[in-house]
Amino acid sequence: MFGYYLQLALRNLRRNPGLTALMIGAVALGIAVCVMTLTMYRAMSGNPIWWKNDVLYAVTMDFWDPQQPNWDKKPELPPEQLTYRDAMAVYASDIPKHKVIMHKAIGILSVDGQQVKPERVLTRVTTKDFFTSFDVPFQYGGSWTDSADTGPEPVMVISRKMNEQFFGGANSVGKRVRWNDHEFRIIGVRDYWMPLPTFYDVNNGNLEEPEDVHIPFGWNVTLELQSAGNTNGWKPEEVNNYQDFLNSEMVWIQMWVELPDQAAHDKFKAFLDNYALRQKQVGRYQRPLNNRLTKVDQWLVDNNVVGNDDRVLVGLAFAFLAVCLLNTVGLLLAKFLNNAPMTGVRRALGASRKQVFFQHLVEVGVISSIGALLGLALGGLLLMGLRALYTVDPTDAGGTQALAHVDMTSVVTALALAFFATIAAGLYPAWRIGRIPPATYLKAQ
Amino acid sequence: MTAWNIRPIASALWRNRTGALLVAFQIAIGLAVLVNAVYVVKQRVEKIGRPTGMDTANMIWVSSAGFAKNFDYKASWREDLAVLRGLPGVKAASLMSNIPLSGSGSSNGFQNRPGEVPPKETVGANNYDVDEQAVAALGVKLIAGRPFEASEIQPPSETYELSSQAIVTQAFAKELFPKEPNPLGKTFFDGLSKPITIVGVIDHMQGAWVGWDKLDHIVLFPRIKNGPAAIYLVRTEPGRRDAVMREIEAKLGDSNPGRLLRWVRPFDYFIHQSYLDDRNMAIFLVSVTSALLAITALGIFGLATFNVSTRIRQIGTRRAVGARKLDIVRHFLVENWMVTTAGVIAGCGAALGIGYWISVKYELPRLDLYYLVGGVLVIWLIGLAAALQPARRASAISPAVASRTV
Repeated sequence: MFGYYLQLALRNLRRNPGLTALMIGAVALGIAVCVMTLTMYRAMSGNPIWWKNDVLYAVTMDFWDPQQPNWDKKPELPPEQLTYRDAMAVYASDIPKHKVIMHKAIGILSVDGQQVKPERVLTRVTTKDFFTSFDVPFQYGGSWTDSADTGPEPVMVISRKMNEQFFGGANSVGKRVRWNDHEFRIIGVRDYWMPLPTFYDVNNGNLEEPEDVHIPFGWNVTLELQSAGNTNGWKPEEVNNYQDFLNSEMVWIQMWVELPDQAAHDKFKAFLDNYALRQKQVGRYQRPLNNRLTKVDQWLVDNNVVGNDDRVLVGLAFAFLAVCLLNTVGLLLAKFLNNAPMTGVRRALGASRKQVFFQHLVEVGVISSIGALLGLALGGLLLMGLRALYTVDPTDAGGTQALAHVDMTSVVTALALAFFATIAAGLYPAWRIGRIPPATYLKAQ
Repeated sequence: MTAWNIRPIASALWRNRTGALLVAFQIAIGLAVLVNAVYVVKQRVEKIGRPTGMDTANMIWVSSAGFAKNFDYKASWREDLAVLRGLPGVKAASLMSNIPLSGSGSSNGFQNRPGEVPPKETVGANNYDVDEQAVAALGVKLIAGRPFEASEIQPPSETYELSSQAIVTQAFAKELFPKEPNPLGKTFFDGLSKPITIVGVIDHMQGAWVGWDKLDHIVLFPRIKNGPAAIYLVRTEPGRRDAVMREIEAKLGDSNPGRLLRWVRPFDYFIHQSYLDDRNMAIFLVSVTSALLAITALGIFGLATFNVSTRIRQIGTRRAVGARKLDIVRHFLVENWMVTTAGVIAGCGAALGIGYWISVKYELPRLDLYYLVGGVLVIWLIGLAAALQPARRASAISPAVASRTV
C-alpha cells in the first residue's frame, strides 16, 4: 500500500508544481535557518566537556574590594581568576584528584638552523594536570611530571599545527626548540583538540583555538612571565618588581580542580573556606566568605559565554521555523482541498478515512523529506557564508575557523527536529481531508 | 459601510477560517520579529557608526616582536621609527603601548583628589604610553594645551608606575572635574595618589573596548612602551595608506634578524574585528527577517489564490448579477486586510512583549512605539501587495462562468 501511496503522492506533487515548489522551499528554508542557528548556538554555548561536568570545577575566591564587588552586574560572583599567592597556596592541597593552575603568555617559537620562519605563539603556562583534567589527546609523547612544574624543566608540549609547521608532522618528541631565547625540549605533541567554547579560560574570546604551546607553570618565576590575557586588580599598591607583582592583589591565574565525588568536593570547599578565614585574620578577604567551586555548565552561564545575542538568534530561528511550518500547513490544506473531488471519489469507492489520512500523510512525508535534504544543503551553504562573515583575516587560523568544524550531532538534531515538526504540521491537513463528506463532491461532478 | 460589504466578507472568511488563522499567525510572528529586529539593528548600526575621533582611514599599525637573546630593544625602536618617519607619504609615526578599538588595552582608575576615595568617585579610563608624535599620528583634535615634547618622553617602565603628565580627552576631564570649564593644567591622581598634570585636552578619541561605557575616557602618558615587542602607529597622507604599507613590509621585514615583523595592518582591520559580532548580528537579523517576511507574503498570496480558486462560480455569479470588477478586487483585498489586521493585533502584543524582554536583557531603552506603528504599516502594505495579483485574477473571471457547470 505504501508504494502505491508514494506513487500517488509523487503524481499529486507534479500536478501543481508551483505550489509544490513553494512548500518544499518553505520547509527547506526553515530547516536551513534552524540548522545554521542551532549549530552556531551549540558552538558558542555547548558544554565541550560534558562528560566531566560532575567532577570538574573552576575555583574562585572572593578577596575583592570590601566596598564593591568585582562585577557590578553579578555582585554575587568572585573574580573569575585568582592571585598568584592564593593560587599557589590552594594548589598545595592534595584533596583534588587533579588540579590545574595556569595562565596565558605569548612567546616566539623558533628552531635553530631551520628555514621555517619564527612564529609568535600563544602559550599556556600550566601545571601538568591540564592534560589529564581536560582529556587532552596526544599525537606523540605525553605530558610532563610534577618535578617539571616546580623544577622548572625545559620541556614543552606543542600543538599538532605547530608540529606540522616546524617538523612537517613527523614525531618531534625530543627535538629542541626555542621559546623566546630559552631552549626547550619537546616531550609531547597535542593531537587535534578544539573545545568549543574554550571554557577553561574565558578571558579573551570563547571561540579561540587552544594555545599552540604548553610550558610548565614553574617557569613563571624564572622567566618573570606575566599574563597575556587579563590582569585585574582592585587595590592601589606599589609594584616595583616581579616579586611585588607575585605578592600583589592582582588576579591573573585560572584554577580548575577535578573532585571525583561529593565527599572530595565538600572537603575541598572546607579547605578553601578555612584558607579564606585564616587570610581574614591577616587583613585580607574582607568581603563575606564566598569561595566557589563551579561546574563547567554553570561557569559558562556565569561568565556570559552564552550571550543575549545567542538567545535572540535561537528565538529568531524558532520563530522562523514556526512561520515556515504555518505556511506549509496552510499550503498543504489548500492543496488537499483543491484535490477534494478526487478524494471524494476515493471515499465513495470504499477508501476508509484512515486510508485517506495515511495517503495524505505519505504526501506530507515526501514533501518534508525533499525539504529536509534541500534544507541541509542550504544550511551547509549558510554555514559557509557565516564562516566568511566571521573571518577577519583568511591567513589568521585562529578563532572563528572553529565554526567550520560543523559538529554532526547538532546538525542531525536540528534536522530531525525540523523534519518531525513538518510531519506533525502535516497531521492536521491530512486529518481534515479525511473528514470531508464524499457526497458534496460527487454531486458537483 | 454597506458599500464595503464588511459583513458578507467576514462571514465568507469565517467559513474558511483555518487557512485565514494560519496566515494571521504568520503575520503576528512576522510583525513581532520585524519590529524588534529593526529596533536591535538600529542600535547596532548606531554603535558601529560612532565617531572614533581619529583619522582611521589613513592609519597603519605595525607589530614587531624581538625574541633573540642579543636583541636591543632601544636601538630597534629608534631605528624603526626613523625608517617609518622617513618614508614618503608618512605624516607622523609613533610608538604606542596598545591599539585603540582592538579589544586589548590597559585601563586604570583615577581620582580628582589624593588619598582614599570611595569607589564611586574613581573615574576609569583607557591609558596609553605614547611618544611625542602621537597626537599627530592619531589625528586627534587638540582643543587645549600642547602635544608632548620629545624631551618629556620617559624611558620604558618596568613597574606599573605612571607618568606625571598626561593628555586626556574632554569626556574624561569632564567626569573628573564636572564643574571645571577648562581642565588644562589641573592635577588628578592615580590610585596611589600620585599627581598627574593635564598638559593637553583632546576633543574626542575612542579607547580599547567598544562595549565599555568609558570608551571615550583616554589618558595618554609620555612614555616609551615596554619591550621587547613594539607597536608602531603610522599616519599617512590621504590615499597613500596601501602604498606605505607595502613600503613598510619591504623596509622592516628583514631589517633585523633578532625580531619578527609580525604584521602590518590598516586600522580598519581592528575596528572591523571589534564590531564583528555587532555587524554580523545586524546582517543576520536583516536577512532572516527579510526571508521571514517574504515567506509570510507567500503565505498570504497562497491563501488568496486558494480562496479565489475555490470561489470561481460564486465570483462569476456576483459578476453576472451586476458586481463590477472593482467590487471583486475590493472584496478580496478587504478580506485579506481583515486577516492581516487580525494578525497585526496579535502581533502588537507579541512585539511589545519581546521588545520588553530585549530592553531588559540588553539594558536598552524601552521599544519606541514608532517602531510598532511603522511595522504595522509595513505589514499592511505587504499584505495588500501579496493579495493584489489573486484579487485581479478573480476580477477577470467571466460572468459566463455562473451559467456553466464545471
